[in-house]
Amino acid sequence: MTPFRRRRDGRVSASFQPAEAQLLLSLAKEAVELARAAATENGEADPALRRLLPDAYPDDPEASAEFRRFTAAGLADRKERNAQVLIESLAAPSDHAVRAVLDEGQASAWLRTITDVRLVLASRLGIHEDGDEGDIHDEESAMQRAVYDWLAGVQELLVLALRP
Amino acid sequence: MTDAGTLEETRTDELLELGSPWVTIVWNDPVNLMSYVTYVFQTYFGFPRREAERLMMMVHTEGRAVVATGTREEMERHVEAMHEYGLWATLTKADA
Repeated sequence: MTPFRRRRDGRVSASFQPAEAQLLLSLAKEAVELARAAATENGEADPALRRLLPDAYPDDPEASAEFRRFTAAGLADRKERNAQVLIESLAAPSDHAVRAVLDEGQASAWLRTITDVRLVLASRLGIHEDGDEGDIHDEESAMQRAVYDWLAGVQELLVLALRP
Repeated sequence: MTDAGTLEETRTDELLELGSPWVTIVWNDPVNLMSYVTYVFQTYFGFPRREAERLMMMVHTEGRAVVATGTREEMERHVEAMHEYGLWATLTKADA
């Protein structure tokens, strides 16, 4: 990919290699599924999905459950919509590089979706504290760790480009 | 049994309870980038860059930071917004 840059019209843009765009698209589609799953009862039991909708009251399970009852569906909807924004802004990937041009709102949706995917990956990899490498024990976990790091790079470039 | 005085005190206590402030706390996590946390504090709360960076560093080094104070309803709105950004946020009574 090329780093995100601020354009004269105020939007930010970057171009992605076809394989990178494809990866982002499939991760965003996964983010849609994750958001939906997080708001279900199964999602409540899965620590990785739980990180998407964490307890609001650390010492009060009852208040946390009530908060969840009132907010989970709306949060899941908005997380899903954020992921859809990412999907739409990459359009259909071609054989050529794909250019993403984002206004503030779209960029924000990208940042949030990337965060959601990284939160779930981190939990699945066993990254719980600063400095944790994660449990890398096979090709799949090594790939997940590589994706996790790559997404951090994309996010960093996007945040930097958004700075006034 | 009760008398008017006690009743009065109870009411005052309840009023104080309603008015007592709550806080929104953002906790450190190993996932979110320092630049992104600063971005969220600037964009959502409208903090100037330096203040956003100060709070971000507090989260990073102390493990948590109070980022807002107000009514319980306001703090619930902030916590919900933080969860949409993927930050780990909770609310609690200010004196707790």
